[in-house]
Amino acid sequence: MVKKEPFFWITVSCGLIILAFILIPLIEMLTAPSLSMLKETIQDKDVVRSIRLSIYTAGLAALIAFIFGTPLAYLLARTNFRGKHLIESIIDLPIVIPHPVVGIAILSVAGRGHWLGQIFNELGIRIMGSVTGIVVVLTFVGLPFYINAVKNGFESIPPRLENVSRSLGASMFSTFARITFPLAWRSMLIGIIMCSARAISEFGAVVIVAYHPMIAPVLLYERFEGYGLKYSQPVAVWLVSVCLALFLILRILTLRNAKNA
Amino acid sequence: MKNNRIKLVISLFCAAIILLPASLVLAEPSGKLVMFHAGSLSVPFAAMEKVFEAKYPKVDLQREASGSQKAARKVSDLKKPCDIMASADYKVIDKLLIPQYAALNIRFATNQLVLCYTDKSRYAGEVNAGNWYEILQRKGVVWGHSDPNLDPCGYRSLMVMQLAEKHYKIPGLYDKMLANRPIENVRPKSVELISLLQTGNMDYAWEYLSVAVQHKLNYIVLPDEMNLGNYKYDNFYAQAVVKVSGKKPGTYMEMKGKSCTYGVTLISDAPNKEAAVAFLEYMLDPEGGLKILKEMGQPPFIPCRVSSEAMKAKLPSELQKLVTVKN
Amino acid sequence: MITIENVNIHLGEFDLREINLSIEKNEFFILMGPTGAGKTVLLEAIAGLIRVDSGHIVVDGRDVTGLPPEKRGVSIVYQDYSLFPHLTVRDNITYGLHFHRTPKAEAAKRFDRLVEDLDLSHLLHRLPANLSGGENQRIALARALIVDPKVLLLDEPLSALDPGFREDLRKGLKRLHETTDATFLMVTHDFSEALSLADRAAVMDGGKIKQVGGMKEIFQRPESTFVADFVGMKNLFTASFHDTKAAINGLEIELGKSPENGHGYIAIRPEDVVLSRRELHSSMRNSFKGTVTEVTDQGLYYEVSIAIEAVTFKSLITKSSLFDLEIGEGSHIYLSFKATAIHTF
Repeated sequence: MVKKEPFFWITVSCGLIILAFILIPLIEMLTAPSLSMLKETIQDKDVVRSIRLSIYTAGLAALIAFIFGTPLAYLLARTNFRGKHLIESIIDLPIVIPHPVVGIAILSVAGRGHWLGQIFNELGIRIMGSVTGIVVVLTFVGLPFYINAVKNGFESIPPRLENVSRSLGASMFSTFARITFPLAWRSMLIGIIMCSARAISEFGAVVIVAYHPMIAPVLLYERFEGYGLKYSQPVAVWLVSVCLALFLILRILTLRNAKNA
Repeated sequence: MKNNRIKLVISLFCAAIILLPASLVLAEPSGKLVMFHAGSLSVPFAAMEKVFEAKYPKVDLQREASGSQKAARKVSDLKKPCDIMASADYKVIDKLLIPQYAALNIRFATNQLVLCYTDKSRYAGEVNAGNWYEILQRKGVVWGHSDPNLDPCGYRSLMVMQLAEKHYKIPGLYDKMLANRPIENVRPKSVELISLLQTGNMDYAWEYLSVAVQHKLNYIVLPDEMNLGNYKYDNFYAQAVVKVSGKKPGTYMEMKGKSCTYGVTLISDAPNKEAAVAFLEYMLDPEGGLKILKEMGQPPFIPCRVSSEAMKAKLPSELQKLVTVKN
Repeated sequence: MITIENVNIHLGEFDLREINLSIEKNEFFILMGPTGAGKTVLLEAIAGLIRVDSGHIVVDGRDVTGLPPEKRGVSIVYQDYSLFPHLTVRDNITYGLHFHRTPKAEAAKRFDRLVEDLDLSHLLHRLPANLSGGENQRIALARALIVDPKVLLLDEPLSALDPGFREDLRKGLKRLHETTDATFLMVTHDFSEALSLADRAAVMDGGKIKQVGGMKEIFQRPESTFVADFVGMKNLFTASFHDTKAAINGLEIELGKSPENGHGYIAIRPEDVVLSRRELHSSMRNSFKGTVTEVTDQGLYYEVSIAIEAVTFKSLITKSSLFDLEIGEGSHIYLSFKATAIHTF
């Protein structure tokens, strides 16, 4: 047998350390509550409602990112113009801004102290303490993840394919529908998953804009602050399980299609 | 005899010499000092922190503001290490911390509730002490209060409105007002409502007078019968009752209306008792912390009060001179 | 069929300046030049994939300068064929038909004919992924021609293939051109490819067109040092002319006729430089004795460099000739060339 050199062992050790670092706290949290507590928690109407709200708002945020982010991602992938780097940096801003700051910023714009807030008011749109406000926050934090994933997807499709399509008589729309989209849909799905994952776990920004209605992380925090670990761990387990289940389904779907393609 | 007396004097002298440096070493408070306190005390305590840390540079005062029940629960449920806990309602200390986690309860200041608003609020030009309860019912008016389960200001706001119903003799007024206050307008901490007012996301909010003054908000002063600020009306106040969550989820306890009395306690197994006592000594000093409270619109008790001789006896010696017994 | 008038394109590093070109219907026209000359840019401009900054492009009498690619009737085949990876070969070929209102019968006829001509029937159900370069090229051609384009643009279609296949596919292209109505415009950097396929050609360099004309003309009568060098006229010299004689670096050459006014160069193809062990007494007017300075193996031929005083000539001879002449570095050798082999410009 070939002797493995130190380099190999160093890399393996680092890998094991990282896996342990991630898995140990998660396993501890998942196994801490008793089965009866888990059962009791999932029967709690507030818990179910908050998890449903989390999934719903994250899904909506991902949908908005999909609709508005796809054209922008396509533009960034295909064109070069002065100021492109600036635009890309702006799109990445939500990632670097601390979460509570995001919440405060959105709240400041949404109130009647700001001209935009006044317009919302006139239109009857309410941001503070509403599902609308939550979706606004989640879209804000999730957009860069979607756009970057899809932009990479588009960049990996050679522009020549689109050129040939157009030379054969297809308009830009037809080309996008028949050539670009079928080759890029997987990266769009990945973008949606990344955006949803980011959205569903958001806490610091949402809690400032809307304490009620309660998304799951806020409920989790409230239970923890109010009643301690014992009462918040089961909620955490359910939330994590639901998230994992959703993403597992999406992963399987993508892989299955990849095999068929 | 003379020899013995000389021996005694010499022993005492030696003891003093030995003990003096030791006491000097023990004298200076230092290290981390952890304080959980009510949100409405944030501004005065920030000022006190500056003065105190200037006086004792080796002490690092770390404060966590929250609703008072939440602060108490951090000690009782979460077992978070804490030296001092200050509550917007001294009753919270009695109900949640005594006797297991604390033995003392020093009442140090009063407050009253007012209805705050800004120039941007709807009907800001119209509202006054005579029509506020009607404006709060108007459709489109966004008003709120803090969570009664986490913050005394929350249940006190509800009590004020219950008392309004009784004082104005308008049956059903309380429920009618609450009908116009969806759950989305309730926040864990009353100071959060301030930023909502300032950004124009909320029109009216219930807050302590001290907080309104500190943040330069407009406010309506209500009659003493309703504002929970005058202990002479404690009997009238007692008519207001609000159910809030108890020690465990699913259980409840009743809070009866009483004038706003702030309380502070020294946690029994405080990690840094020395620094804690030093802080309390400063805080309860009429020329020290109490003066700051007064300047910031929060009338202090001078001197501070404990409810019984027994409790006074339990106080550290440095604090005994700063309190009186009054029930 | 294609007229390019005063076209200027500014594209960052690539600049096309004052391009004027005219291509006849059903011609096989070739655009030659070194890499970076701007050939692909010009091709994509004709296809409508790159915008022109000034000038006009006219295709079949229609000014298409402002039209998007889908409205020009110009098909393009790229060097890497760019087949749609997610569609079968059949779907790749029939792709363009979705956007043209071709009657079903006509479409089927075209499909069958192209599939037969290009020998693709056994591949129709496959995906492009694992096919050979030659198969890819034929599929790309079928896809481009099924929509009956007025112009077929080919961007170095043979460069990606093994040399062995190139010959076959070159013939295939020529055959295809003869069976369709389309005008072929092909880009290549390989001069010999151009020689075998083109009717007419243009040589480009640095974003400009250097020479346009029939292949024979360009090959034998380059109009500039660049073109001469490009077409492989390796013996390129500045010359001063006097009557029917030219002087290159002191060496006198007999031209047989007076050169035109303004000419300053002479060029001779290396194949036209004949080598011999002894002085040749023939009708060739120019004969010199020189020393071999270098012999380089060009694969099928040898290139021999001979120094005659201050001038170095290059000659191309076969391997057998090399052995017969017993040439090595330092050997003395005679070289001769006809006056008619000398090109002046």
